[in-house]
Formats: sequence, C-alpha cells, structure tokens
Amino acid sequence: MGLTIVTGREGALKAAPASEFPEIAESPRFTCALGGAYGAALATFGAVPILHSGLGCGMANAHGMTYAAGLNSGGTAGTTTTPCSGLIEEHVVFGGEDKLRRLIDSTLKVMKGELFVVISGCVPALIGDDVDSVIAEFKDRAPIVHVKTSGFVGNSLVGYNLYLDAIIDGFLSEKKETAKKLVNIFGIVPNQSPYWKGELREIESLLAKIGVKANAIFANFEPLGAIASVPNAALNLVFHPWAGVAAAQKLEERFGTPFINFEHVPVGPQQSADVLRTVGRKLKIPNAKVEKVIGAEEKNVYRYMEFLAEMFMISMPHAFFGVVGDSAATISYTRFGANELGWNPEISVITDDPPEETHASIVARLTQNIQGAFRPQVFFDYDSYRIRERLNEHTLQVLLASSLEKYVRGRDGEAFHLSVAYPIYDRVIVDRSYAGFRGGVALLEDISHSFAGPL
Amino acid sequence: MTINLNDITCPTREQRANGINTFNGKASELVELAKKKELKNCERDFQQNSGCLLNFYLTVRVATIRDSVMIVHAPVGCSAPSALYREVFRRLYQGLGLQENFDFHWLTTNIGEKDVIYGAGDKLRFAIREAERRHSPEAIFILTSCASGIIGEDIEGVVSETQGEIGATIVPIHCEGIRSRIIQTGYDAFWHGLLKYLVKPPQKKQKDLINVASMLSYTWQDRQEIIRLLGKMGLRANFIPEFASVQNFREMSEAALTAPVCPTYTDYLSRGLEQEYGIPFFLHPAPVGIANTDEWLRVIGEHTGKQKEAEKLVKEERAYWVPKMEEIRRGFDEVKAQNNGQFHIMGSLGQGRLVTQTPFFHELGVTTPVALCQDFDDLLLEDVELLLKRIGDFDIVVNTFQAAEVAHTARKYDPDMVLSCPFQGSAYKREKGMTRIHALRGDGRKWSAQAGYAGAIACGSFLLQATRNRSFQNVMLAKTEDPYQEWFFQQPDPYYFHRKEA
Repeated sequence: MGLTIVTGREGALKAAPASEFPEIAESPRFTCALGGAYGAALATFGAVPILHSGLGCGMANAHGMTYAAGLNSGGTAGTTTTPCSGLIEEHVVFGGEDKLRRLIDSTLKVMKGELFVVISGCVPALIGDDVDSVIAEFKDRAPIVHVKTSGFVGNSLVGYNLYLDAIIDGFLSEKKETAKKLVNIFGIVPNQSPYWKGELREIESLLAKIGVKANAIFANFEPLGAIASVPNAALNLVFHPWAGVAAAQKLEERFGTPFINFEHVPVGPQQSADVLRTVGRKLKIPNAKVEKVIGAEEKNVYRYMEFLAEMFMISMPHAFFGVVGDSAATISYTRFGANELGWNPEISVITDDPPEETHASIVARLTQNIQGAFRPQVFFDYDSYRIRERLNEHTLQVLLASSLEKYVRGRDGEAFHLSVAYPIYDRVIVDRSYAGFRGGVALLEDISHSFAGPL
Repeated sequence: MTINLNDITCPTREQRANGINTFNGKASELVELAKKKELKNCERDFQQNSGCLLNFYLTVRVATIRDSVMIVHAPVGCSAPSALYREVFRRLYQGLGLQENFDFHWLTTNIGEKDVIYGAGDKLRFAIREAERRHSPEAIFILTSCASGIIGEDIEGVVSETQGEIGATIVPIHCEGIRSRIIQTGYDAFWHGLLKYLVKPPQKKQKDLINVASMLSYTWQDRQEIIRLLGKMGLRANFIPEFASVQNFREMSEAALTAPVCPTYTDYLSRGLEQEYGIPFFLHPAPVGIANTDEWLRVIGEHTGKQKEAEKLVKEERAYWVPKMEEIRRGFDEVKAQNNGQFHIMGSLGQGRLVTQTPFFHELGVTTPVALCQDFDDLLLEDVELLLKRIGDFDIVVNTFQAAEVAHTARKYDPDMVLSCPFQGSAYKREKGMTRIHALRGDGRKWSAQAGYAGAIACGSFLLQATRNRSFQNVMLAKTEDPYQEWFFQQPDPYYFHRKEA
C-alpha cells in the first residue's frame, strides 16, 4: 500500500449512513444507565451501591465499565462486594420488593457506609416494583437514595445524570450561605472518562492556584460534607456538553447558582488558562492575580516542553490526527492537537450519543477557532465497525481514541495510537490524566517516543 | 438423563440436577443430601454481585468464535464485558500458535424504552441481516437477556423467518439472567444451542480428534500443553469454544471422544454428543495435577485404542516432571517446618475444580481445611464421593462469589493461603498468604499455566512462590478499610443472612 498524498480539504459534518436501526452497533462506547449510576456511586467514596437487579448486572459492569476504564476495579464497595438483590423468575412473578427490603436491611447492618444508593435495573422497571416505597422505610436509619435507572432507559451518561439528580433531590435541602470562592464540579463522568480521578484532582489544584475551592462529590473522602455544601457554591462548572448539565440547571433553579459550561476538560496550557480566566472573571478575582498564576504556569510548562520538543519534531510533527471519544474528550484533544501541537485535525468521532440539541455546539467547538488549514470531519457514531471503516478512509499519523482502535492504523497503516477515551483495556489508569497545564506534556511523554531514535 | 433437542433450550441446573449455591457444612452431609435429592436452595437476605447466565461470561466467550457474529439481544449494558474483544486477546502472540483470523465481531440490539413496549423483533431481524451483510459469517449467535425474556420476544420465530435468506447458521441461546440462580445453566443453554443448530451429523469419523471444551480460566499455555500431550499419542485436540472456528463445532460429531478440562462446564455438551452421535465421554478426572493428568491420558488412551501410547507417555512424562514436583514438595516441607508442620490452603473453586484441584493440593503436600465451591449439583456426586474416600471428609461452603461469606470463612478457618478468583472484592487483603487461583486466557505466560504436567509444575511453583512474601497483602489490609462491620466476623455463622426456610 502506497502513501496517500493529502492535499487538503475543508472539514464538514458527515451524517451517519441511513440505517433503519442506527442504535444496533458493534461494541458501543458506553454501558447502560444502571452502569453509569453504579459507576458514579462507586466513585463516591463512602457510598455503598445496592443493585436492585439481575444477578449479573454488577459483574457485567465491573468487567465492562470499571475494568474498561484503565483496568480498574470499583474499590471498597465494587466487584463482588456490591450488594445485589439478584432477581430471578420467582421475583418477576411475585415482585422483588420483599427481596429488596431484606437486602437493604441486611446491608445497613453488615456494611460500612456513609450513604447508600439503591440503583434499580431492567427487572424492577419491567415488573413495576415500587422501589421508592421500600426505600422510604429506611430513611430514618441511614442516608439512602434511589436512582431509578434501567438498562434500557439510556446509556451510562444518562445514568450519571440520573445519579446526580437523585443526590440533589435526596440530600440537598437549603442554601445556608454563599461561599464566594466555592465552585461545584460536574461533567467529569466516572469511568466514562477513564481519567476521571486525575482530571478531578487536576482541576481542583488548577482552581486552587487562583484561590478557588473546587467541590466534587467524587473521589472525595468527605462525600456527605461535599454533598451538603453543594447549594452553597457561588458557581457551578460543567466540563461536558451534556453530562452534568441537567444538574447545573436544577441547582440554578433551586438555589440560584449560576453555571458555566466549558464543555470539555482543559488539556494543556491554553485550555487551562481559559478556564482560569473565565472563572476568575465570574468570581471577580483580580485579573492581575489570575494572569500571574497563568504566567508562572506557562513559563514552567513551556520550559519543560523544550526538553521534548526536538524529539517531538522528529517523531510526529504536523501529524494528521484523528480523535475518537466522548464529546468532551474529543473536543479537548482535537483542540489541543490543532491549537498547541500544530497537528492537522483530520477526523473527530463523537461516541457518547449526545442529545440532538447539543450537536451544533459540539461541532462548533471542533471546527471554530481551530488553528491551521484544516477542520476535522466530524461524525456522531458509536458503532465500532463503522468507526473503523471511516478511520481507514483517512491518512492518519496519530490516533487518539479508545483501545478498540488500538489496531486501527488509518488508510496508510501508519497511525500511532494512544488510548484516551472509554473503553481503555490497554493501560492502567489510576490518578493520572492529561488535564491541566502539564497535561499536554504528559500526553506527549506517553505517545511520541516510538519513532524518535538518535541520529 | 435425556437431552431434548426439540426444546428451545436446556432445563435449568436446578431442574436437571438439583443444583444449589447455598450450603455450609461437611462434604459428607452435602453428598448425603444430594443422594436423597434433598438439596435445597434458600434465599439470602444479604446477597452480593455474582454473575448471571449471560454474564458469566458467555458474552466474552462467544465473541471469540472466529468466523461468527455474536448478537446480544439486550439493553446496551449486558454486552459491556465484550468491549475487550479487540484488545485483550491480542496480547497473546503468534509464537503461541495463535490463529491469524482474530478479527472478532459482535452486535448489540441495544434494546431501548420503545422496544420494551412495542417489542424488538424487527431490530433482531435487522441485526441478523446486518451481521450477514457486514461479515458473511459462518454462524450468528443470538444471546438473550432478562429484558428480552420478560417482554416475551419470540426469538425462535425470528430465527425461522430469517434463516432462509441468511447464509450463516443462526444459533439462539436462551441465557436470560432471570432463568436460574446457577450460572452453569448459561453454559448448558449455550451447549443446547450448539447441539440443536450447529453440530452437523458426521461426514466421516476422525479417530484422532478429541473434543476439549475448556474455560477462559485455563490459559493459552494450558492449550499448548494439551496439544503437546495429545500429539505424543497421535491425537489432535478440537478446542472449543474460545477462539474456535465454526467448523470446529460442526465436526464435534466426528470426534473419537469428548474429554473434560472442567467437568461441570462440559457435562451437558458431553452427554448431548453421546446421545446424538454416540461420541463417548468421561467427566473425571480433568488434567490438573500429575496423578489426574496420568489418569486423564489413560482414559483417553482407552477410548481411542491407544492404551500403550498412553502408558508410554505417562512413563516418559513422569520421569521428567515428578522430580520437579518432589522439589516443590520439599519447598512446601520447608514452609511447613516453619509453620507448625502444616500448610492449609483454602481454594475458591468451581465444582469442577473441587474434584480436580483438591487432590492436586495433596500432591503438593498441603491440606485443605475447607473448600469453597461456586455451586453444587448431583452431576459429579460419584466423583465427590471418590474424593471423600481418598482424602477424608472436609468442610465445604457452597456459594457463587458471595464475598462476605467468603471473607467470613477465610477469617474463621484462617488458612495459611487463600486462593481467590479474579475480581473478588477485597479478598487479597490478608495477614496470611493470598494469591490468585487462576489467570485468564489472555495471559500467555508459562508462569500462569495449570493444566497437564507442565501446568502442575507451574502452578505448584507459583503457589510456593506465593508463600515467600506477603507484604502487599499485609500492607493493604493494614492501610485500607474493610467493607464489613466487625460484628459479622465475631458471630460464628458465615450464613448468618440465609433464610432458613426455603
């Protein structure tokens, strides 16, 4: 196969080929709503998820969600530790409420937990169990909420949204006072963003540099404290085009808290500086203070970038690159590659099935204010088969994608691949990420070594 | 037992063999109850994630059948474990005899809210045609789910309607999670589908072909060992189901014998092949440990007219491997000398491993104060009785991955070493030793082998190695929190939350 000469063309939004059932797909890039809510509960340190579901829902999501997020297990209350009502035929016939009642009662007795999250799946949804009534019996014994999901109500991002909704409705009462420098963080979806722990930590430390305290429910050792202070925040920040947006809207309605949606996690210095400037303006932090922080961070990170720049210029300069991932990740990496690394965006595939009304904004983020001659072709698709076919129509030197694309090489068979989006089965991810000022350096450390030998 | 291939699927293990996954007591009592058909399952008030018929792990296994497409007729989460299909198994390398066509394919019908109201038959038809259009496979497997079962999808109707226009053989598998508490029922359902739709009447007899159904928990090296041993007897292994081609299934009817790696897993298939095509089978022993492997080869020799070859092979192999096993035994003797003269191992086992691995522990010179068994039924009763005669009575706890019950049992018996399946909660946090009982198929290292002679030595050596340092287990125990309240461990009954009535 010869090299394809690429001369250039304008990017365009490509519609998925007409299909009677476009949702029928090879290996979609998400799990079900029960999985998303389960992942969110496991990410809430101190929370004990209680699955009111079939026997295998929890283990399917252990292997297909937490393990797919950089080979992680779910932590203290994950894998086989998670209580599960294990519904079978007799419960389908006679109802699963009694089983759930006994399960909640025993769980409160035997498991350590600060809060308990009942997540209902397909079986109770189909047989019509009154889960809320059962849970009401336990309200005086422990903090407990119900996330009313099922496998068919939507994907894991929908489950994340339902989880936040249940937490807001179940635990938030009133705003005590507005903490002027407190902001809530939404839209970094546990597991669906395999780098979620590192991204949360990086955003916390980024905002701390300008004196802003980030409040996140996830990966927080005081989850009840974090939840209780949600109404007190001066501002809500969302880092995803549609995950966490409904929560921010609800908090605005109930507590009058304004929100900003960045639509993506900041990767590299430009995006990080943008977050600091925007938050700084909104919270009336003196401009000089913000610029001083940005200046120091930039000086640091670009000085260090010099250490790898020569190698980078040998191994993958001005590469044609493709990105395949969640809407938020695709925006982060497409913009970082085009605007900071001088790569040429060739194709960006959005795999999280965002609601129709968010498509225009996502496309704008991917095609406006992009440096260089090219705009990526943008596809909304989560079918691994079609995605492979599409990628192989393009010449690519770099492919930032999921591990499903590990062996996809593009038209010329030379794409160098790095897993940045769910699912990721080819690397272990604990608390690292590519977020923040240093994130771009970290990404180049991980990807660009292969073709950079000495002379 | 008759297998009725006119039925759309198998009976459950509960119906077929009085299967249970709740018992705590002496193995002798368990056997007595089973003989009297008095085994009873009871509800657990406290229950934890285990696995269902679909996801233990048909979704992962069936996706690896090479020239097929798996269609999971379910909401999107039911097939989530299969997302590893393009990556994990490619960590194996060509040097290990990996077949070239490793481009696996599957589809989910992604059952949604509208489908549970109006039905998803049209989607299933479309998915079948799409599978054919994309890949022209030899077979299309349809795996069902709780949701498809509860909404009453007419799978057989769709199959009979579309089969005429589709080149691939369509194989429906009724693995709705709600069907049974016993995950083995899912395997039986898979074998039923294969026997009913895919296995073809023999064109010719292949006297040197041995059907070997092996689990993902036996590694690629285990396959290599079985190929090596059978090869020395002039025999070939027909490995199914993982990484097999559809032809491997079709020609199962031409084989000389069906031999077990895991008897409880293989049972339904073996009986079905005998009933339909007269293929003899045996269920015990499996090739785990030296004595079991000797016996496994001898039984294969008897069935294939290769007794002499088997005896010669066993003699040669023993001359090479037994001294190595003695070396491992001496290693355990040293460990025992520093440990009041004993070394107790608690293994978390499937029913198959119970009858095969326990004697292997005895070969190593270690003892099993208690066996954990995922489920129990009356299919292997004779073998368990034989085991009792050979090694005496022992305590047994039957549950399917109930982590709190396992943790309680581990604290109560306080064995020197706990062996746990992967992904078992916080089982690795221990004062005393702990390691994994097995690796997975994607692990191609000789270190992780367990089958045949090479596996017996690798596994024995691995276990000895596990006794040499336990700092990780100790540190994690000391520095992280236990998920359970202490009172649970202070009371004596791991089955505290079992409802004593049925």
